[in-house]
Amino acid sequence: MNRWATWLWLAFLFSIPVWMTNQYYLYILINAGIFIIAAMSLNLLLGYTGQLSLGHVAFFGIGAYASALVSLGFDLEITDSYTFVFAPRPVWVGLLAGILVAGFFGWLVGRISFKIRGAYFVIVTISFAEVVRLVALNWIDLTEGPMALNNIPPLTLGIPGLWELTFWRKVPNYYLVLVTCILSYVVIARLVRSRLGRAMIALRENEPLAASVGIDVTRSLVLAAVVSAAMAGAAGGLYTHTIRIIDPDVFLFIYTVTMVIMVITGGKGTLAGPIVGGLIFGILPEVLREVASPEVQWVMYGLIMIAIVFFLPDGIVPALASWWRDRFGAGGGGAESQSEPGPGPEASGTVTDTMGERA
Amino acid sequence: MKTLIKSTGFALAAAAALGLSGTAGASEAIKIGVTQPLTGPVAASGNYVVQGAKIAESFLNESGGILGHKVELIVEDNKSNPKEAVATAEKLIVRDKVPVLMGAWSSTYTLAVMPKLIEYGVPMVVETSSSGKITTSGNPWIFRISPTSAMEAKSFGTKVDQFGIKKADFLVVNNDWGRGAASAFSAMLKSKGISVGVVETMDAKAQDLSAQLAKIKASGGDTLFVTTGVEQITLVLKQAKEQRVTHRVITTGGSSSPDQLIAQAGAAAEGSYHLLFFAPWFPEAAPNPDVAKKFVDEWNKRGHNFAGLTEGFRGHDGIMTIAAGIEAAGKAEPDAIRQALWGVKVDGVNGDISFIKQGPAGKESGQNVPNVYIVTIKDGKVALP
Amino acid sequence: MDRFLQHLLNALMLGGTYALLGIGLTMIFGIMRVVNFTHGELYTFGAYMVFFFAMTLSTNFFLALVFAMVLGVALGAAIEFVLLRPLRGASIDTTMLIMIGAWIALQNSEQLVWTGVAKSVIHPFPAEPVVLGPLSVSWIRIFVFCVAILLIVGAHLLIHRTRLGKAMRSTFQDRETAALMGVNINAIQTATFALGSGLAAAAGALLGPVFVLVPSMGDMAALKSFAIVILGGLGSFKGATLGGFMLALVEEMGAGYISSGYRDAMGFLIIIVVLIFRPTGLFARAERIG
Repeated sequence: MNRWATWLWLAFLFSIPVWMTNQYYLYILINAGIFIIAAMSLNLLLGYTGQLSLGHVAFFGIGAYASALVSLGFDLEITDSYTFVFAPRPVWVGLLAGILVAGFFGWLVGRISFKIRGAYFVIVTISFAEVVRLVALNWIDLTEGPMALNNIPPLTLGIPGLWELTFWRKVPNYYLVLVTCILSYVVIARLVRSRLGRAMIALRENEPLAASVGIDVTRSLVLAAVVSAAMAGAAGGLYTHTIRIIDPDVFLFIYTVTMVIMVITGGKGTLAGPIVGGLIFGILPEVLREVASPEVQWVMYGLIMIAIVFFLPDGIVPALASWWRDRFGAGGGGAESQSEPGPGPEASGTVTDTMGERA
Repeated sequence: MKTLIKSTGFALAAAAALGLSGTAGASEAIKIGVTQPLTGPVAASGNYVVQGAKIAESFLNESGGILGHKVELIVEDNKSNPKEAVATAEKLIVRDKVPVLMGAWSSTYTLAVMPKLIEYGVPMVVETSSSGKITTSGNPWIFRISPTSAMEAKSFGTKVDQFGIKKADFLVVNNDWGRGAASAFSAMLKSKGISVGVVETMDAKAQDLSAQLAKIKASGGDTLFVTTGVEQITLVLKQAKEQRVTHRVITTGGSSSPDQLIAQAGAAAEGSYHLLFFAPWFPEAAPNPDVAKKFVDEWNKRGHNFAGLTEGFRGHDGIMTIAAGIEAAGKAEPDAIRQALWGVKVDGVNGDISFIKQGPAGKESGQNVPNVYIVTIKDGKVALP
Repeated sequence: MDRFLQHLLNALMLGGTYALLGIGLTMIFGIMRVVNFTHGELYTFGAYMVFFFAMTLSTNFFLALVFAMVLGVALGAAIEFVLLRPLRGASIDTTMLIMIGAWIALQNSEQLVWTGVAKSVIHPFPAEPVVLGPLSVSWIRIFVFCVAILLIVGAHLLIHRTRLGKAMRSTFQDRETAALMGVNINAIQTATFALGSGLAAAAGALLGPVFVLVPSMGDMAALKSFAIVILGGLGSFKGATLGGFMLALVEEMGAGYISSGYRDAMGFLIIIVVLIFRPTGLFARAERIG
């Protein structure tokens, strides 16, 4: 039954471009998908380790910039006589580079900031994102600063001379984002069920206790940060090659807030939460575009965020899961996999239960 | 919980309703897509451009529309953000099926939209952006009526002698516009044998500029070129006075709105010079005085902010250029409009609009050579120098 | 040398209002354990209230300043009452999320009401600056500096010399014991939040006429307050005061002698460096709130 539901969902998601003839809706889904990946990566930190990182957009942006620069190539004047020239590489190399560079910064930030907790941690992560933004803005030799990197090539895959596919149009991009989404989901689902995942959750629940039973706190947190940052970097890479321009505004705090809202609304610490939240807040702005001015939209987001924290502190997915359990008895896992698109029903079940205990 | 279900339900209903209304009545009017920053940091300017564009829309419809069809502007807010600029282009082209666009104010937003123009084959008239990259990157769907910073500098270069500048300093907003202006103007000044002192930047949101001004004061130049929005120019003038920076201030970029400076900076604005692309105080001095006068009168009649005219005219000229393109093409189809735009001659508020070729051969973009005006503030009033 | 002194003077003038911002935020954190993301919006609110009274209603400029501060206190109390009181005892992350939501809603409401066009407040001080040898400074800035110092001293006295202040300090040290001893914790928290918000509104009201008013002006103020508070150590009154002047100095010198593009990065860079070497801030320890 659960497997069935999963495959059904996957078939549905893969079929969308076939019957969805309006390209505009595909565009919205592509964008939502990119932010869902970012939200899932944030969820790993925020939901599973319990660390409220408000600088997450830094990794997204670093991934985006790294991928764009590798695929565009760049010159850096090191001294007057020596200029480092980096020739353009294929886009898939760029995407990989984006993931690695973002992951490296995840490690660095993790090493530095997991020494502190609570409000200090939050403010350090915000500061980090601001510093990265200001570097992107002012290091003009590398990033073109506010002039933006434009004409970023779209992804091209193929066998030289035989077959080639350039991800110009909506449909291939949709599949690209969908596949990355599923991969990220699987990675996170496996991770949270692994030893490391259990260590992370133990840390969130009771750090002193976790430390006393021999969990290496800093190491677990840093590992989570690396995976999370690398995944955000992947989302940034996809973003930069579909939107094809990048400027320092990508580091604005408001994008972090968007990701946080997605995770919190959907349900932090659940596998499906960021997907549900990401879909809602990826699609809502496009729907509201017609009926409300952007200020009103933002006022509504702010109020929705407050309302969610007040009335559904665990988010939509856990609330739905418990509603389903109350009504139809056990089998919360099933409720999960049907309430949202995404594979891995067993995983969702266990995690929802953990959430239940938490509350 | 309740709120959420309600709001999603509401959203879905709204989507359904809009989907229906979107298809109906599409055959009649000729649609023109407009993407402008209506909210966010540069919202004021974007709104002025839209007000000007709406005036052009009424003018066109009063005189019978284009090719017998009414003209309908579809205005989208790009929220002062390149990602949203792309979203508006997608929405306008794919969903509303507009054959031509006008936008997107800042160079960054315009650059963000440009790949979409190639992807879907839709031309865009650029009304404000100044970055050289826009017309030199090989995008044949771009037609720009606003000047690049280099053109503005060149035009100012013909009058630079009357200012007797020995050494100039720069204070520019830290974006493509500010930095582009600083490099174009300093190149022009150097070519005239004028030395350039410090080039200082400021964050677009910065309010305290005392550090930059202290540095500029110490540099010992006689003229300070300022490129930024009117809010920050106000701050520069006020704080320069506080710190007794004695430089003559010249603002570039055409967004300085001298009336707002007089109102908000008061005595500190006295004696400053401003490069503009339209001088609404003297419509009779414009190359097309009738067009300029008609536009200014309508603007005032509608009760729009007079200070916004220096931005608003761009919207008018952009829409009029597009209308001429559609008229010449004989049909509202993207590629036909693109080809027709090469031949248009429009009597704009700024002056005569026509396009020369720029960029790599075979995929040139269109660039207009606009007029540049210099005004000064004297005895609390705007005057010609 | 003249330029150095001018930079120093500029930093001193700016530091007063920075300190004001920092003290408001640090009080709220120290006593309530709330990271107040609405702090910048209170700053914006104060500035727009001065505009509303002084320009729209043509009230006397100084009276408008007083009104703006009083209304800032009232808005702070309202936020505390509606959003924070029901969540007493919730985790620091929960309240932080609530405050982020409130921040977004408030800022965009301001944009709706006042639109994006910048506003300017005309003040009664002469435009000609005060000239001291090679240095110059405007009258309005001197006025702003003096009022800021008065408010800082006032807040200090309030915390150290009044019953309310004593209750605040005991709540800070040990909430449970304070409650047992008959301190009305709810009232103390509302008072703290109102007072902290009032200080932010005061900073906005004072700086509004110096600068121009835009709805997003609070973002910078909020980020700077965070930097100041972290520098001084969360919850430290003295730390926030010194942190305010320090941040102003670092920014001014950084912009003057390194690069104006990195002006706003200075504060954050210091935060990161400070936290690597002294995770509790420069002045934290026994001095917190008092």
